[in-house]
Amino acid sequence: MNTKEIDSPPHKDSPEAFPPAPLLTSDAIVKESGIPFDGPYFRKTAVKANGKRDPNMIKDSLFIIRRGDMFHIISENYAFKTETYYSILRYEMEGKPVRPSSSAVLDAYVVPICLERAKLAGIPVCTWGISQGYTPLPAIIYGLNYFATASDFCIVRDNDEAKDAIKHITNIGKYPFCYQTLDNGATVHSCIGIFGKTARQCNAVSLLAEKVYSHFSIPLVTMVFVKTGEQYRLSSLAPVKYSQLLGEERTLLAAYLSHQEFL
Amino acid sequence: MTRLGIFVDRKTLSNSEQLNALIRCRDVAEGMGHDVDFIFPVDINKIPGMDALFIRARTDPMNVTYVAARMASMHGIPVIDDPRSIQICSDKVNMYSHLIKNRISVPVTVFLSKNDLTIENVTNLFNELGSPLIIKEPSTSFSLRVEKVHDITGFFRVARRFIKLSDWIVVQQYIESKYDWRVGVLDGKLLYACKYTIPSDTFKIQASVNGHIVYCGVESVSPDKVPPHVIRLGIAAADAIGSGLYGVDIKNNNGDAYVIEVNDNPSIESGEDDCYPRIFEQIVTHLFTK
Repeated sequence: MNTKEIDSPPHKDSPEAFPPAPLLTSDAIVKESGIPFDGPYFRKTAVKANGKRDPNMIKDSLFIIRRGDMFHIISENYAFKTETYYSILRYEMEGKPVRPSSSAVLDAYVVPICLERAKLAGIPVCTWGISQGYTPLPAIIYGLNYFATASDFCIVRDNDEAKDAIKHITNIGKYPFCYQTLDNGATVHSCIGIFGKTARQCNAVSLLAEKVYSHFSIPLVTMVFVKTGEQYRLSSLAPVKYSQLLGEERTLLAAYLSHQEFL
Repeated sequence: MTRLGIFVDRKTLSNSEQLNALIRCRDVAEGMGHDVDFIFPVDINKIPGMDALFIRARTDPMNVTYVAARMASMHGIPVIDDPRSIQICSDKVNMYSHLIKNRISVPVTVFLSKNDLTIENVTNLFNELGSPLIIKEPSTSFSLRVEKVHDITGFFRVARRFIKLSDWIVVQQYIESKYDWRVGVLDGKLLYACKYTIPSDTFKIQASVNGHIVYCGVESVSPDKVPPHVIRLGIAAADAIGSGLYGVDIKNNNGDAYVIEVNDNPSIESGEDDCYPRIFEQIVTHLFTK
């Protein structure tokens, strides 16, 4: 993974100057093992954040930007035990303000937790349940296990579709799954949120994107909505690959990465 | 009447001892005047109607037990195990970071990212930490993804397997011992102590030997027979994680005690409580007085 700390104002607490907290830092690892550590956190790359050079949104890149006192970690995937997750953890262990938090990313990517937390924050969400084998129809279903990702959901409209999909997402009945019932005429939409902003979305979705960001603080996220009539309800949050970004979205993210003042 | 939910999962309820322990827990809670509901994953929406939740299923931030813990915490319901403890204890990178930060004695520990898996780094590890080394995949439980390696070839064979499951792995100095102390801690106080005797043909509390699963022996030990420094270390390690229920594994080698790990959701069904008959009463009391 490539890590880039994009850092407009010089700050005294660069990684090399961290206090000797013996964890998740190069200092700790060197002290404990004697191994010179050239881990990804310490490749302070020469990415200029002034807009003159492209911030290299290539696969697996991880960006750390500082806005005010807050560090923001931008990545394609915030999943548990990834480099990104451990980058967040490292900042938390060092007592540095970082967004998103490690608990927020765990919440965001486990669908029932995501929806319960969003509901308590006033965001309209799909009605959900957990099952071992049965789902009301039609429904949108998500795996609920170690290997599941919210990117892999299935829309099932009849028993045959449901049987096949459930077999797949539960690893042949080994794990439970999350279902969300779909009303007649409901449609499923997804859009990408970049620091709570969207490109070319209607007002309703833009407002929901802002709310989702204000609550989960994930800079780059796919939001899946179910639309019934004129109402959108959140179905899940999922990772975004840089390659999925459309031109305007890429420009928007690049603007954040280069600290453009209008943001 | 107060309602206690006991969260269980048939997928991780695998023997009669576990079932008997659940029934014992229910009987104790009912004897204390509480209503008790067993809650399975499909009943998870009942959690907001409980007054307290006790999780007795294998915990992991990516599985349904974490949903149960978060459901309880989001609705202000006291819960063991709380989500923060699950998050920390289910990830050994996170857990050892908390222990090291709080200056708890642990074997020399190194975190390696996949980018650090080089022959030079691994050679240095053997030079610094000696041989054998212990490699752990961070979310292992019941010693499933814990391996002892003696050389660089063995190291890469195991590390490449584990790195498919986690971008970071844990490498530790090997501490030899014939048994582990398990110190049970609830809210910063000793709850129980026992010895886990390591089977002679393995170094883990549970292992597959010649295709057969072998388990450690369990011997409940009264507090006066546990070395005081082991109890102190167990409580300090638990406090480094949180104020919930933990089982702290400690190796006491030639008088030097090291925390091997802190477990949330510790087993209380295999005789750990023989010398401590009030364990469930203490847990239920704690949940309802939080």
